[in-house]
Parts: sequence; C-alpha cells; structure tokens
Amino acid sequence: MAPGNYVVLQGARNFRLRIVLSTLSGRPIKVEKIRSEDLNPGLRDHEVSFLRLMEAMTNGSSIEISYTGTTVIYRPGIITGGSYTHNCPAGKPVGYFVEPMLYLAPFSKKKFSILFRGITASHTDAGIEAIKWGLLPVMEKFGVRECALHTLKRGSPPLGGGEVHLIVDSLIAQPITIHALETPLISSIRGVAYSTRVSPSIVNRMVDGAKKVLKDVGCEVNITADVWRGDNSGKSPGWGLTLVAENKQGWRYFVEDIGGPGAIPEDMACGLAYQLLEEISKSSVVGRSQLPLAMVFMVIGKEDIGRLRITKDQVDERFIGLLRDIKHVFGIEAILKPVNETNSDDLILTIKGIGFTNTNKKIA
Amino acid sequence: MEQSNKEHRKKKESSTAKRKLHTQGHNAKAFAVSAPGRLAKTIQRTSDVNERKLHVPMVDRTPEDDPPPVIVAVVGPPGTGKSTLIKSLVRRLTKTSLSEINGPITIVSGKRRRLSILECPADDLNSMIDIAKIADLVLLMIDGNFGFEMETMEFLNLAQHHGMPRVIGIATHLDLFKSQSTLRASKKRLKHRFWTEVYPGAKLFYLSGVLNGRYPDREILNLSRFISVMKFRPLKWRNEHPYLLADRVTDITHPEVFEKQGKQVDRKVAIYGYLHGTSLPSAPGTRVHVAGVGDFSIASVEKLPDPCPTPYFQQKMDDLERERMKEEGASAALPRRRKRLDDKQKLIYAPMSDVGGVLMDKDAVYIDVGKSRDGQGPSFVAGEEKGEGEKLVTSLQAAEKSIGESFDNVGLQIFSNGQELREAPEEESEDESLNEEATPQGDEGRKFLRNPRVYGKSIQEADDEIDNLRSDDEIDEDNGSKNISSKFAEDLEGEADGKLDFETSSEFELTDDENEDTYRSTAIKLNGNGSLARKWDIGKLIYMENINPSDCIKRWRGGEEALSEGGDEEEDGDFFKKSDVSKSSSASDEDDLEKFKPHFDTFNNLVAKWNSAEGLRRRFIGAPKVSDVDQGNASGDSEGDEEEMYGDFEDLEADSGEAESQHQEDEDQVSDENESEDSFADFEEEEKTNDSTLKERDANAAKKEALRLQFEQEEGDNFNENDPDNEYDTWYELQKAKMAKQLEINNAEFASMTSEQRQKIEGFRAGSYVRVVFQAIPMEFIENFNPSFPVLLGGLLPTEVKFGIITAKVRRHRWHKKILKTNDPLVLSLGWRRFQTLPIYTTSDSRTRNRMLKYTPEHAYCTASFYGPLCSPNTTFCGVQIVANSDTSGGFRISATGIVSEIDATVEIVKKLKLVGYPYKIFRNTAFIKDMFSSAMEVARFEGAQIKTVSGIRGEIKRALSKPEGHLRATFEDKILLSDTIILRTWYPIQVKKFYNPVTSLLLENKTEWKGLRLTGKIRADLGVETPSNPDSAYKKIERVERHFNGLRVPVSVQKDLPFKSQIHQMKPQKKSTYMAKRAVVLGGEEKKARSFMQQVFTLSNAKEEKKKAKKQVERRERLKKLAQIEEDRIDKEKHRKKEYFSKHGIKRSSNQDGGNASGSKRRK
Repeated sequence: MAPGNYVVLQGARNFRLRIVLSTLSGRPIKVEKIRSEDLNPGLRDHEVSFLRLMEAMTNGSSIEISYTGTTVIYRPGIITGGSYTHNCPAGKPVGYFVEPMLYLAPFSKKKFSILFRGITASHTDAGIEAIKWGLLPVMEKFGVRECALHTLKRGSPPLGGGEVHLIVDSLIAQPITIHALETPLISSIRGVAYSTRVSPSIVNRMVDGAKKVLKDVGCEVNITADVWRGDNSGKSPGWGLTLVAENKQGWRYFVEDIGGPGAIPEDMACGLAYQLLEEISKSSVVGRSQLPLAMVFMVIGKEDIGRLRITKDQVDERFIGLLRDIKHVFGIEAILKPVNETNSDDLILTIKGIGFTNTNKKIA
Repeated sequence: MEQSNKEHRKKKESSTAKRKLHTQGHNAKAFAVSAPGRLAKTIQRTSDVNERKLHVPMVDRTPEDDPPPVIVAVVGPPGTGKSTLIKSLVRRLTKTSLSEINGPITIVSGKRRRLSILECPADDLNSMIDIAKIADLVLLMIDGNFGFEMETMEFLNLAQHHGMPRVIGIATHLDLFKSQSTLRASKKRLKHRFWTEVYPGAKLFYLSGVLNGRYPDREILNLSRFISVMKFRPLKWRNEHPYLLADRVTDITHPEVFEKQGKQVDRKVAIYGYLHGTSLPSAPGTRVHVAGVGDFSIASVEKLPDPCPTPYFQQKMDDLERERMKEEGASAALPRRRKRLDDKQKLIYAPMSDVGGVLMDKDAVYIDVGKSRDGQGPSFVAGEEKGEGEKLVTSLQAAEKSIGESFDNVGLQIFSNGQELREAPEEESEDESLNEEATPQGDEGRKFLRNPRVYGKSIQEADDEIDNLRSDDEIDEDNGSKNISSKFAEDLEGEADGKLDFETSSEFELTDDENEDTYRSTAIKLNGNGSLARKWDIGKLIYMENINPSDCIKRWRGGEEALSEGGDEEEDGDFFKKSDVSKSSSASDEDDLEKFKPHFDTFNNLVAKWNSAEGLRRRFIGAPKVSDVDQGNASGDSEGDEEEMYGDFEDLEADSGEAESQHQEDEDQVSDENESEDSFADFEEEEKTNDSTLKERDANAAKKEALRLQFEQEEGDNFNENDPDNEYDTWYELQKAKMAKQLEINNAEFASMTSEQRQKIEGFRAGSYVRVVFQAIPMEFIENFNPSFPVLLGGLLPTEVKFGIITAKVRRHRWHKKILKTNDPLVLSLGWRRFQTLPIYTTSDSRTRNRMLKYTPEHAYCTASFYGPLCSPNTTFCGVQIVANSDTSGGFRISATGIVSEIDATVEIVKKLKLVGYPYKIFRNTAFIKDMFSSAMEVARFEGAQIKTVSGIRGEIKRALSKPEGHLRATFEDKILLSDTIILRTWYPIQVKKFYNPVTSLLLENKTEWKGLRLTGKIRADLGVETPSNPDSAYKKIERVERHFNGLRVPVSVQKDLPFKSQIHQMKPQKKSTYMAKRAVVLGGEEKKARSFMQQVFTLSNAKEEKKKAKKQVERRERLKKLAQIEEDRIDKEKHRKKEYFSKHGIKRSSNQDGGNASGSKRRK
C-alpha cells in the first residue's frame, strides 16, 4: 500500500473508536482538525495516553502526531496483546481505556492481560461494573466467552488509586453472526452499590432509594452492597450505583452513576432507577452504551448478514457518526429497516460482515 | 380323439435366493446375527467409510442460481495433446471448430453449468502456479506411451499446496502401444502411480488415438459427461477471496496520452472476466493482485451482460418476459418454453481465441473481416466487394457522419405535408454556455480526455464534489434569481412527480440541502400545506456526508420547522466560517459524544415520565399479579402509557374522528399481547364474544407467519448446541444446518434489497461478468501481452495488503535435490502472489529462542521467517528456486513446501555466537582472561554472563580489568588450568532482510525467462569465483598430545622441613615375604609332561587352522571378484541393449518433434 493511502477523518469525535476501527481493519487513518478551533487545540492527555496504550498492545503500529497535536496519522500494526500495566492519567477513569480494549482483545496474538491503575469511576465514562455487567455480556453473545474484569482496588475520583485487571482469554477467529430480532423480556434487575472510604450506611441508603422506585416494576430486584475498606479502597472517598436489567437471553441494559460532592444517596439512586427505566424504554436488544460494541462486532463478522433490532431512539448522533466512520474505514454500509410489526417503530439494523478473520493468532 | 394336453412338469427344485436362505435348516434371516464377527467388521467398515466422507463444514459462497463457469484447466507437458483435447471438447459441446486456443474459452455445458476451458502453457512454471490456484478441475494430460513427466509431478505438488482442485488424469498416445498386454500393463502402472499422487481411486481417462485432429467422439463424450456432472467442494482460499480469470484484456489509454508522452507510459487497462469466489467489493480502490504484474487498485468495476448465459438463466429471463406479457394480456406471441438444450444455447465465448469473428466491447463492436483465408485476397475492401452483404458493410464503413450527426439538421415533420419543426433556440438560455462549448467541436470528435463518471466515489473526491456543487449553486442562484419563481413553478410539477426517482438516484447524496429547502419552500408555498414533505429514508440520510448527524436525526424524526432552521444554520455556517468556528468550539457538544454514558433527561422529567412504570410492564416477564380486580385497569393503563410514549406519532396520524376506532383496535391488540406475552390469561375478556377469538386467531396466525418469514433467531431452539433436544443428531449436521440457515437468511435479505442497495452491500457477486479497469498498469503488460498465458486477478483482504514478517513451517521438498540455505533467494507462491524473498530458516530451542539454521534440515520441518505481504495463518504455500526455463536443469523444481504459522511486524531470531578467551593469570577460583573482548565496554555488556571452560568448569564474568584493554576478571567454581580455553556462549540477533521481489513474468516478452535475484552459488558459478573458505572453518584431524602427568616428587630436603600435617604419607615397602611367596607350587613329572604335550597339540592345531583361514580368505576374494565381473558385464550388456533400443525406437521428445513438425500441429518445445 502506498504510504499516503490513508482514510482521512475529521474532528476529535469518536477518537478511540476510530483508532480501534483502523486497527481492526488494518487501514491507516489520518485524523485531522482535532479541536483545531479550540482554545486548547490538539490531543488531550488522555488521548495521548490511549495512543500509548495502543502502541503497547500492538506491534509495528506507528503514530505520528503533528506539532500542534491537531492531526494524527495512525498506521496500525498487529494486535499482540500480552500483559501490560497502564497508568491512566488523572483526568480519565480506567473505563475510558478498558472500553476500547474490549474491541481488540479477542483478536490478538496473545491473551490480553492489562492492569489499569487510576480512577475507577466517573460521571461520564464507563465504570467497572458497567463494563463487567454491561459490556462483557455483549461480548459473550458474540462468542467471546472468557473475559473478565477483576477489581483489585477501587479508586474514587479525584485521587484514584484503583487497580483493575482486564483478562481476555478467548482468542476467536471472528465474532458470531447474530440475529436478534426480538426485544427480549427482562427477567430481573440487579445492581451493585459500592462505596470507598465512606460510611457503609450510604450504600444501604442507595439500595433503598433504588428499590423504592423499582418495586413498581414488578420483577425481582437484587442490589448488592459492596463496601470497600482499607488499602484496597483507594485514596478518595466515594460511592456509586450501577443498575442492570437482565434477561434470560443474556442481553443487559444498564445505567450507572456516582455520587458527587453534596449529593444525597437516596436521590441519586432514585434518579438512576428512573434512568434505568428510561434506558429500557429506549433500547431494544442492546442499550445505547452497548450499541457501538455490538455494531463493530457485527461489522467484523463473517461474510454473512447479521441483524440486530434497535429502537428509533437509538438512532442518535453517535450512532450515525459511528456508521459513517465504519463506512470510511471498512467501506461497508448498514441498512435500517422498520420491523414488520404493527405496534412498534423499532428498526432492524442489518450489517453484512466484512469476512474478518483473526490473522494475528498463531497456529498451534 | 382325446385332447392332448401338455404334460405336467413338476416344479424343479431350484436354488433360488430364498431357498438358499433355508439351506441350514432354518431361515438365516430370521436369526439376526449369524456371524457376529463379520457383522462387527461390517459395521465398523460402514462407519469408517461414512466417517471418511465427512469434511470440515464450510460455507459455499458461490451463488446457487447463477454460478460462475467452472474453470477447467488442461495441464500437461508439451506434446501430450492438450490443444487437441480442448478442440475436441469444444467441438463436442458447441459444434465449433477452433483454429487457435488463446485464453479461456467459456462454453455452455449444461442447463446450469458453463465451463471456462483453459490451456496451461506447458513449459511455464509461473502459469502452472497461477492455474493451480484457480482451476476448479484439472485435466492432467499424461503421455501414456511415455509415462509421468516432471511437469506433471510438479503441477500435482503445486496444486496440492494451493488447495487441491479436482484432478482427472487423461492418458493419451495409447495407440502407440503395439501389443495389448503391454498396453494393459502400462495402463495399470500409470493408474496406480496416479492414485498414489492424487488419491486412491482417482479417475484416469484413456484416450486412444487422434482422428481428424480430434480424439474419438465416444471417449470425448464420456469425458464431457463426466465433467458436467462433477461436484466441487469449496476450497478455503477461494472461498475467502474474489478472483477473476481474464477473458479479455484491452488497453483503453487515451491516444492523446501516447501523443503527448510517447508509448512508455502506464496504461489504463480494462480486464474482462467472470468473477469467482466471494463477491468483489463495489467500493472503488479495492486492492487486487494481478498475478505476474503486481498489486493494483481497481479504478472502476462494471457489471456487463453475461456473454455466455446458461440456459437456466435465459429461461428465467423468458419466464419473466412471459409473466409480463401475460399481465399485458398478449397471449399470442409467448416465447416457447424450452425443455432441453438446443443448438442455439450451446454458446461459446472466447474473445481472445477468435471464435465467430465478432467482438463486443463496451462502446464498440469489432468484426473480424477475415484474413485472406482462401487465397482470394482480403474481403470487405471498398470497391472490391464480393456480394451485397459486403457492400452494405463497406458502405457503413464509409459513413462520414455518426448517426447523431446525421440528424443534426433534420427537423421533426409531424404531418407529411407540414413544415419541419426545428429546435427552438430560445429554450437553451440556461445551458447556453455549455452548448457553445460543445457545438463547434461536434465535427472533429473529442480532442480531450474523457472524464468518465465513476460509480461511487472516494471520500476525498466526494468532498471535492460537494465543494464544487456549492459554487455551482451560488452561480445558479445569481443567474436565476430573476425568474426563479416562474422557473420553479414550471419545474415543480415535474419535481413532484419525479420525487421518488430523485430520492433514489445516487446523485442525490451529493446535492446541497439548500436546494432541497428551496424546493420544499416553493412547494409549500404553492400547495399551501406541508403534504409534499419528504419522508426521509434514514438509511440514506446516515451516509449523506454533507448533512451533520444531528441534522440527520432532526430530518428523520420529521420535525419540519426544526429542519428548516437547522438547514439555515448550516447554510450560514458554510458562508461565514467564523460563526461556524464559534459553534464548533463549544467543546461540551463534542465531549458529549465521547461520553460513555448516554444522554438522559433531567431528573424531574424522568420522574414525571416514569412515575408509574406501567408502560414498561410489557418488557418484563413474571410481573406479579397486581390484583385481579385491577386487571381491566392495568390494560387500560398500559394503553394510556403507550399513548404517552408515542404520543406525538399518534397525534400526527389520528384525527379526532378516527381516534375512537383506532383506540378500540389498539386496546384489542394490547389485550392480546397481555395474554400471549405475559403469562396470565384474562378469562373475562376471552368469553366476551366469539368474534374476538376469531380475530385473535387471525392475529396469531399473522404473527406466526411474520415470524416464519423473518426466520427464527439462529440461537433459537433448533440451533442450540448444548440443547440435547435439537433435531440434529450430530454436531456435523447441526453445523451444516446452521450454515444453510445463514445462507438462507443472506439470500432472503439480499432479495429484499433493491439492486442498487444490494450491489452496495454485497458487491459484485461471483458469476457476474465484469469489466475491471485499472488506471496505471505498466506498459510492458500490454506491449508484451500474450493471450496464451493466463491473466489472473486475485482480490486482496486488508491483511494481505500490509507487509511484514511471515513465520512459517517449511520443509524442503523431498524430491528436490538440494537442501536450502538461509538467505538464499526463494520464489514463494503464497496467496495470489509469487514473489522472491530471502527466508531465514530457524529452529526453536525448546521454545526459548528461535535459533538460526544455516540450512534446512534434511527430512524435517523447520521454521522459516521471511519478509513479504502478510497472509493469514494456515495458508499453505510452496517455493521454487528458479522459474526461468533457461536456468532449470531438469530436476524437480519445487524446492520447499510450507504453511504460514504466524504473521508479525518483527521476529526475534538469534544466531549462536561463541567468544573464546584464554586465562593468563590464575588465582584460586579467579582468573584473568584475555582475548575475549577488545574493549572494556564490551566486557561491561557481558558482566555477569555465564562462561565455561572446555573441561566443563563453569564460571561468571565479573569485571573488566582496567589495564590491558578488553581483559577481564572471572570467577569459576573450581580452579582452572592455564591451558584451559574459556568459552562464552551467547546469542546474536539476526534481522530478516526486507526483500520482496514480485515475479513480474507477464511483463516480459519472453514470459518463461524471469530471473530475479540469483542464488549465491549461481552467482559464483557465473562469475567463476571460488567459494571463499576460511581455513579456520575447515575440518582437520585434531591431534591431541596425550597429557602426561608426572608423579609428585618432593625432594627429601623439602620434605623433611614440612610440618606433620603436610607430610607426604607413604607406606614403607614390605620387608617380610608373604605366605604365598613362601609356598611355591612345583609341577610334578607326569603332569609336567602332559601339559607340555597338550601345548604342542594346541600349537599344531592352531597353525593348521590359521592356514585354512588364509586359504579361504583368498578363495573368497577370488569369488567376489568373479561376481563383480559378472555383474559389470550384465550392466554393460543392459546399457548396450537400452542404447540400441532407444536409438532404434527413438525417445519420445525427438519423435514428437519430428511428428509435430510433420503434422503441422501446434506444439511447444
């Protein structure tokens, strides 16, 4: 391939996923105009840190960052995996880094075993429980069976001090082609309420607050209290709640939040419970946060057609942005069709896989 | 008279099968197992056979209804009758006689089958490799009179390592055998040899003689029948890649380019052929490998009408036509339904082989006017026509104007006596400038490069186009602002009608939204209401790059006002960059997208919305019964909530009048759902009316039907592996069923798409006839084009475009004469490519390191690492050292075979390095060592390294000595000797040389003479340079002086001063004589005599024996000599006899050449 032959993408949006897509497809990308109009232009610390992580987990990839940091040329190498320790910068929690690794881990040469150090929870990015209870089940549906996220230490913001160990043991050739055409029925609601370096009563208050709302729903609600003490509880006090709606097919919907300064646990939990209801109403088979993962796994499937039911609400800016990026990088398009049911305006997302195979894996 | 009847014949005791069963006195069948041992064996054998039939389940991606032609390659050494066979087959299948065979010949061989018959150039290894990769069926020609030749064996081995296509052996020249017994014997021998190469039981055809330049019809008929019923298994590599065997290659470079830059420019080339394998992506810029030329990006692909359609396909077309006609009501002129292949359907398509003399191109038809065939001079020469037909053609040739031009000044005459109506000039006000440009050039033809419209665009191009469009629109607006209202009033009707077309056209994606808005606003103005509002297709909206995502959603959700606002905003942004800046710099918006957590409404809104969670009730299972009393309310509530949820949508649709009925229906539906999905039943409702149950049943049936149409989910009941109740007995069956289901789903989905959409999603399907255009192919490809060498296009997967280090398990081919040397160039045929590279052979030292090997091991696999285009693991390949015919020495050319085990960007290979040093000063366990390093720095690098003396004393490097540079201090586990040699064993990293040299054989004029990098030995031989040899490396007899250690002697003077502890302890010599010494045994007289006698006797007999032995030895030697002499004589005689025989009968090649020249048939040397 000629050296100048890369896909040109613009803007800082979707940065991690773009790098991930490029790595999976093997096509070099050039991301231009990264916050070029901003007062603080160019890549942020955490993005650079993410690029470092990518460099460590791949072999032969090259990253060129322009002087101002507004342009990045990324030439992907081979996903090698292996064990690594990544110190996350203070600005972003470990979830920010763990999430993109989930896309790559099943397709690497060696098993992934990364130890992330830093903050383990935040308002915006994926928390540990969200990944464990929300994203890993999606991977399982796509055939990635042996993946686990172990929480060694929790570290609440701002000081962090947490440690999370991501282990992905199954190296698969390609994700399974899925056909999820029915909205599954939710069988139970589970949750984890955790706290570090605060009174354990806060956890119970959260549980009560959430249960108060969810008891109307009329299905089993089971929220675990998880209080961390001592060295393993990081450097800062904090608490949070993750709610997961489960169904028998193995799909999950989840919401999560953490307590900010001055927040009242009951209120937070109550709001979160409402958010869960909202999330359920807005999602069909997968939740909105899981959708990108499911879509990317559908794209890199076999050369077969996979189908996923989504709701109208799930077609948002992120969805469209991702589909466009997928088209740029992989050159394939998805098709949206309304479901053939009278009282629903859900859509069926139809994607033909690119016929991907994990070429990185060594044969025995 | 008495009636004479036939005498009664008694029924004979016949030994029928039934009676045989009863021979034992009982019915053998009645007792199940008569011979348990045999039964067991039979069962075992049956299951063995069944098990052997199983293959790894693999998806067959060739389309069912219109598969690509089967590629039949005719391969064999020169002079085995390949061309004759092809001619016979073509004659048999299409009743056409071919004069020359160039490139693939596609013929229809059955209702659904076409064959692309291809002749492999006999003496070209490159073509053999390419053909091994693409042939579905190989007809392997063997000269039955001569036996197997090297080319045959080479081809079989090549094919084996590229997926092994089906192989049918064809033995020819069998008429040359004189006696039947030799014929039979040699047939048998051939067959068995063939079986060992292919598989036991492989089909070997025998073609006896040649009649009228063809093989006997009966034999060819059998062969063609055999071919047309043959089934093929999908091969892994071909099932993963699109590929194409070029039917035709044309140079479509514009002549102007030649004029400007001369002949030596890269050419624009169009390659035609049927697609095979998977579908070719329709996105432009797809990378493909043209075997023998290199990697190229496809500039454009176009599907052409099938030049050689199958009868099945034609029938389908006819059926469609018939349907159409039936609908129209015309019953008289129905095309006849065809039942069997008639002669019209026996099509042949061989554009390079000159069949029928007509060539059809995209934009021209070439008619071969014939060379002076029958000595009558060229035909179709103006003025010398030989008939009416020729005159017609020549007059056409003489036409000066094109058809379009001839109508230039002709007007339209509506009535026979009316005036000709001519073009109204005032209507072209808009396009004036364009027309002005166009008209003066009308007569001269195009003088500039055509800028063809490319199907689909790259991102950059698309962007450019958007920009261009913008500027065009600006101009448009300026010009047309005066009469805009009238223009639009005119256009609007057309627009409104053509709205649908407009929406589907691909052009639309690039139109500016501002245009849309004007249309819309005018439309709204004119119609007074918004009924013209477009219903946006989200599938299209998503991929319209010029509309930003938030706008997409707004449009799709149908917010009309929001849309126009948004559109305006975007416009502004485009015109005034500054405002755009301020907008985009709001970082919160961007970061919002990076957020993992989706957007939620405010707390209060959520509370208001979900105050009661009833609306979501249907999403849960096992909801507890609220209470039986509330039942009716519950359904009502949920309905209400639903209305709340989708309130806006229903408001839009339902007016007040219809609302009631709709509401009623909805309620019914909801109640139905409650019954079917939630697990509690409502008895009261059910008893309501019979009507409702009927309705319910209908609804259920409809639902079921919908489900069936949508297919059950793959992970459903039947396809669950762990479910013991699924209907498949074996894992194999389950997998097969799964694949079949998935294929069914694929087909159903594709069938539901529009053709345009389908092409976008699926690409160009296998089996379609396409024209692939490349922008810059080296000119040598066209200049030196020879149609008899196959041109193969192989699609590349994303990994295969990248370069890196490939690690593979490799073995030298056991028939190749020499072992292979590290870093000697090797031509590998890996994937689609043939390339020369420099492999390093390694072995793994108990998995701790990869140690370089200088040579491949004799009979074992080793690892090879080489640089080249990556290829997914598990791909098999083979390597040859030389492909040029002039360099081959007649041996087996395939030198290595292997399988890719790993690809990576780097690889760690080490080479063993021993550093040697000598001690020059020895303390107790410490020694100073010299000559191992030359500087202190080097020593520092090896501090702590393990060292060893030759005698096996282990030690460690401690530090460098300050004074003599490079000397070091080391400690050992024991005191070493000054005469010891110290060895430091270490590993030196080796880099794989990044050398990749594609075999560009098709660029050469003489395609069989591609040389590339020579082997080191070859270079030395060519230059006459001797192999340099380091005298140190030569093996010599090691002469070791036996070490003599003197005993320890301590002088008495010293000894006497030693302390007691260090005194040398020595036993004093014994003074007394021992017991035994004291008693000597003396032999007596008799015994002494007897002993001496016996000794004499033994001496005598020994001497005799020795003499006998010596004599025997001599005799034996004589005999051996004699035997050797006899053997030598025999060999001599044999040699002589053979020489005589061959000189008389002539070896095959020379006779063939003579015969070939004499008969004038085309045979290569």
